[in-house]
Amino acid sequence: MSSANGVSVVAEGLRREFTTKQEPVVALDGVSFQVKEGEVFGVLGPNGAGKTTTIRILSTLLLPTGGSAKVMGFDVSTEPEKVRRVINMASGAEKAGYDFISAKRNLWFFSQLYGLPPDVAEARISELSELLGLTKYLDRKFYALSTGYRQRATIARAFINEPKVVFLDEPTIGLDVMTARSIREFLRSEARRNGRTIMLATHNMAEVDAICDRVAIIDRGKIIASGTPDSLKRSLGAPALVMEVSPPKSFDFLTGVPGVKGFTSATDDERELSTVQVVVESDAAASAAARRVETEGLKVIASWRKEASLEEVFVALVGRGFKEREEQGGD
Amino acid sequence: METRPWFRTMRARALVRLWSIFGEPLWVVVNMGFPVLSSLAFSLLYLSIGAGSYVGFAVLGGVMVSFWGNVLWSMASQFNWDKQEGLFEIYLTSPAPISAILIGMSAGGILATVPSAVIVTVIGWALFHPVVSASWGAVALTFGLTLASLYALGMTLSSLYLVYGREAESMNNVLQEPVSMLSGVYFPSIGQFSPFPFALQVAASLIPLTIGMDALRKSLFFAEGVGAVWLDLVLLAVMAVVFLGISEFSLRALERKGRRDGTIAVRIR
Repeated sequence: MSSANGVSVVAEGLRREFTTKQEPVVALDGVSFQVKEGEVFGVLGPNGAGKTTTIRILSTLLLPTGGSAKVMGFDVSTEPEKVRRVINMASGAEKAGYDFISAKRNLWFFSQLYGLPPDVAEARISELSELLGLTKYLDRKFYALSTGYRQRATIARAFINEPKVVFLDEPTIGLDVMTARSIREFLRSEARRNGRTIMLATHNMAEVDAICDRVAIIDRGKIIASGTPDSLKRSLGAPALVMEVSPPKSFDFLTGVPGVKGFTSATDDERELSTVQVVVESDAAASAAARRVETEGLKVIASWRKEASLEEVFVALVGRGFKEREEQGGD
Repeated sequence: METRPWFRTMRARALVRLWSIFGEPLWVVVNMGFPVLSSLAFSLLYLSIGAGSYVGFAVLGGVMVSFWGNVLWSMASQFNWDKQEGLFEIYLTSPAPISAILIGMSAGGILATVPSAVIVTVIGWALFHPVVSASWGAVALTFGLTLASLYALGMTLSSLYLVYGREAESMNNVLQEPVSMLSGVYFPSIGQFSPFPFALQVAASLIPLTIGMDALRKSLFFAEGVGAVWLDLVLLAVMAVVFLGISEFSLRALERKGRRDGTIAVRIR
């Protein structure tokens, strides 16, 4: 089966509203995007931005309240059975499996949900286990696996049926650096070698930088930017200004400085200072921001320029970082 | 519907149940404990009141209560647990037919309960030597249809428990003993020897276990053949089909509602 015009996933004006006792909550507000075949596409945003809702709609677990979406040409609302034949999904918070049977038997069970013949299932389990470094642990009962190996097994499950499109929600959340890296390498190679489309919801910018061909940044149910990670970073124009400032204070005054697109700050109580990262349009704006800090009576202990990351892209677009956005309350 | 993927799903779900149960020997022992002890207690009661010729009722009750316990604690509660563990959404995002999963769970549950039923039978027969006068064809047919209707009821309960979520365990506790009593696993609860008023007997007859127990007693201890218990057999078959239909329909309806309301994946962890 091939996708229409090399496009695996299409969302057009996707909207999802949840009814609560207080008032309706809009989780997605007219989201549109396309994901090409063999692409690793990231949906990046703070908690509550609408990432999981997007993944759940596309994997047929949730109906949209507006707009439409197609996976491999099949409508997720009206043709869920057809969509389910070509997809798989996994969540980082899930680690789902039957605790009292081995990892291998779990994987075999999940392969049977897709009707894999026994020899094909056996070969697929061996191949995936080898690729994910799970082979030595296959005979362990699921409950006896560490968090990292349970997650490797979960990822293996998500690829057991050789899906055309895989939806992953925070696949490396809570994992150690080495396990996260090995899972990312696996995902990257699955897209490259086997042409699988991987759609990844995450709030981990390093993850997006490491494996995504393109990314859509989402905030409060809307896509606020999309493109390759490099093109988004290049769009910022100038490196961010980072300052260590004492004593710790609110930096809201920076929003009034011409050329400042936004900032994030963190306080180090032990050292009694704040680290403020200012996203600027130009070098002149960076100098103006540093001067403004000093005119507020604050002491700049150290300052340097930092190459843009996706966090700065987000800050430039909404004026605040992920953490501050989550504290303000997402959607 | 393609038969091969359906069969593979069904077989796999049955095997998961068997591997889980027999992978933990303590569970096998625990599962046997309640039916063995209650069967012994009722057998001794029959003996103490001078009704030793009916002690077979208690042994048979112990066998069937093993299956009833399995229906409640493994069938009915399973989807609720699966949902809490995130497994239910894996089922739903796969092309696996829900009927294959349900029937696989039932087949695995029945096979996993057989050792418990056999132990109750062996202990009961060894200790109390109940008198058997059986029409074995009718016994086999009744036993099969009773299990079919019981597990179909379990499938219906599994969809109900999905709605009630965390109260599922309390519902099991509420159902276990009253249903055991009403359905007459240890004494006749319908017919001329029933201690219950007519209205309660009618209510009890809506439970497949009641009809099954009544027919099993007749065919196992009073040699009544298929011709004598045909009405029970028809009722059991109808119940099996109806409960199966209700469970599939209600699971589909729940899936649609869950997709609409966003309630498919409400996990505890």
